[in-house]
Amino acid sequence: MRKSICLALLLCSAAGATGCAGVEPWVKPYERQYFADIVMSAERDPVAASYLNHVFEAREGARGATGSHGGGCGCN
Amino acid sequence: MNPVRGLLLACCLSMSLPGYSLAAATPGAAAPDFALAARDGGKVRLADLKGQVVMINFWATWCGPCRQEMPLLAQLNTKYEPLGFTLLGVNVEPDSAAAVTWLQGMPVTFPILFDTDSTVAGSFGVEGMPSTVFVDRKGQVRYVHRGYKPGDEAKYADMIRSLVKE
Repeated sequence: MRKSICLALLLCSAAGATGCAGVEPWVKPYERQYFADIVMSAERDPVAASYLNHVFEAREGARGATGSHGGGCGCN
Repeated sequence: MNPVRGLLLACCLSMSLPGYSLAAATPGAAAPDFALAARDGGKVRLADLKGQVVMINFWATWCGPCRQEMPLLAQLNTKYEPLGFTLLGVNVEPDSAAAVTWLQGMPVTFPILFDTDSTVAGSFGVEGMPSTVFVDRKGQVRYVHRGYKPGDEAKYADMIRSLVKE
């Protein structure tokens, strides 16, 4: 019982330390042009990347399992 | 309730609280002063405009609603300028070349200021794009409007009318 109270207190203090602190660095609403920077893109060459993804999916039998397209049914 | 469970609940709730930041431009507070370079080559200082109703619009070319409201703001400016009203368009982009190019095709006659290092946007605590701050004749922030959707120009006009009358 005492142990669980101690654990709860520890969790509480940890939450108190993290929950109220602002996350930094934070992109402000007026700085959103930085998202459009080339370094923010996951793939430098979208055409080559989509081809490579297709190869991986076909080879691993994982069609539809990556990204947001399809529901993982393997039918698209 | 079990005290341990209560503590856990409190801890979960505290984690869900967002980090608080106090916005500088709150209605009733004095507007933070600034001096920025303008598009026509001069410099505009907010303190010099005391005695006028000032509408400060924070915008950028990458922000669709900002581009959408720009011609409407120009109309508001020409309509209310004779009543002691000034509209300042503060561009928040680090590189103002895109804004200069885009404005060439626009009927914008009010001063466009370049806040290239975002200090003014920061001091006004801009929480969305576009953000519009209304400053009264005494230099106090009276209204803060976040975002733009069609029809908001009527709200802008109401705010301007109420401040110009004072």
